[in-house]
Amino acid sequence: MRARKHTPESDSHGIDLAPMLDFVLNLLIFFIITTSFVKESGITVARPDADTAEHKESGNILISVRENGEVWMDRRQVDLREVRGIIERLHVERPEDTVVVVADKASKAGVVAQVMDEVRVGGIKDVALGATSTASE
Amino acid sequence: MRMRRHARGGHDEDSHGIDLAPMLDFVLNLLIFFIITAVFVKESGMELNRPSAAADQVAEGGGSIPILVLEDGGVVVDGRPVDLRAVQANINRLHAVSPNKGVLVIADQDAQTGVVAAVVDQVRLGGIYNITFSTSS
Repeated sequence: MRARKHTPESDSHGIDLAPMLDFVLNLLIFFIITTSFVKESGITVARPDADTAEHKESGNILISVRENGEVWMDRRQVDLREVRGIIERLHVERPEDTVVVVADKASKAGVVAQVMDEVRVGGIKDVALGATSTASE
Repeated sequence: MRMRRHARGGHDEDSHGIDLAPMLDFVLNLLIFFIITAVFVKESGMELNRPSAAADQVAEGGGSIPILVLEDGGVVVDGRPVDLRAVQANINRLHAVSPNKGVLVIADQDAQTGVVAAVVDQVRLGGIYNITFSTSS
């Protein structure tokens, strides 16, 4: 600072930061807006394939059902009865969130149905069955 | 530039204005955080309705085409056992006959989710998107 003060034309030294700052702030705002806080389930399962699977804009709570009936959400294995409480909490935090139940191909339909019921009771009516899109778009 | 120089009036121009550097550091950190945490993966899935216990009876009675998914992977459309690949054609026909009907997929408790997803996919390909998913024990 002191060294710069001694020079009379300090404006001509250095780069003008203002345009860069504008640009960086714009980038920042872009990333803040586009960030979707996906609640990962914490496990990968073999999803079914489907030609008509749609990309869901707000499907960001993932619940995985493994082939042995384990239910995973929020990066841990949960009991079927816990699902409702967790969904209630998440629904209060962000009411526009929707749920995608990602079930293994070999998992039992009964477990999937129970999970979907718990989600509905927990307050989120918009539930989708996760599938990998195989349609050539 | 000329205006600023005049306004600041000479030698003590460093003491005027805010030092942008710490703010820039902070904003850049924020930016990096959001870039790293940004998830651009959109979940893909298929929308499914879930009947409430009361609505179950109504749905089975009247306005929907029942599809049974058996434990061994067999599919029964409207009372007739069909191949999984024939579901789309059957739904096409039934949809043409009664365009307002939805589909009720009743899966066995132990049926594989992969088969259920395939059936739902076929139904959607057949033109009916109002699909209710139910299980039977």
